[in-house]
Amino acid sequence: MDQKERQRKKALIILQIVVYGYLALMFGIQLYMSFARGWWEL
Amino acid sequence: MNLPLLNRFSGSRSAAPPDGTVSLEEHHDESRLAQRRADKWMIVGAALMGMWAPGLIGFPIFMRGVWLQRQALRAGLSVRPMIVTLIGYLVLIDGMLNSLGWALDLVANHTLINRVLMVGWGAMFDGGYFWHYNEFWIGGAAGPGEKSMVFGMILTVFAMRCAAAIGFLQMKRWGHQWMIITCWMGVLIWCVYVWNMTMYADVRFAGVVFPVIGWWLYDIFYITPFLAIPYLHTVNREIFTD
Repeated sequence: MDQKERQRKKALIILQIVVYGYLALMFGIQLYMSFARGWWEL
Repeated sequence: MNLPLLNRFSGSRSAAPPDGTVSLEEHHDESRLAQRRADKWMIVGAALMGMWAPGLIGFPIFMRGVWLQRQALRAGLSVRPMIVTLIGYLVLIDGMLNSLGWALDLVANHTLINRVLMVGWGAMFDGGYFWHYNEFWIGGAAGPGEKSMVFGMILTVFAMRCAAAIGFLQMKRWGHQWMIITCWMGVLIWCVYVWNMTMYADVRFAGVVFPVIGWWLYDIFYITPFLAIPYLHTVNREIFTD
């Protein structure tokens, strides 16, 4: 595997971590809000 | 009687000449037939899964197609790689589900089925499809920002995504290229959509039966095609023909 290909793979892995990290963060914020604002108490 | 179901593995054996070799032409024809046979099952299964309610019926039909293709692969036939099949059909189903679901919300928002199923879904998991539903000047979802995304994304990305998936499954170069484009559009869509859900979380989740977790469990299926991006960028693009 050449250097360019290795860098491309690394960049794609970082991208996945960033995107899924962002989604996990948004999920965490929403989950926190669900407890803090009493959305589970119907 | 030689029913296809009873004799499904006999084709390759009987076609071989006595010395056990198969000509390139015969191998090509057998591969094409095997692929076509598996695709018939997978297309029917995917179409049913892309129509929401019949999804459970479509799943076993689709899986039979997957199994047929796997058998063909194991028999040494030159059929489409399994990863291309799975990504292609996943994106096709994603495109169909979103096109149909959001078209119902945009155009058929006063139909009985929509007022029952879509609003029922809203009451359970996503208040964006319950809060002031059918009360604005254009019917359907009234959640802040939701209708803009419904309208914009039906007209652009989801129709494009169905076309890209079909081209990709046919192993065309343009299918591969458009798959890359629409998967990147998927990144944009989900960054925007999830931010919108968080921004207006009080509208989307307050008062629903199963807040936050229900929506995520359901929508993670639509989010996963992100995972195809590394594959699409690293696969040998010569396997896709012009």
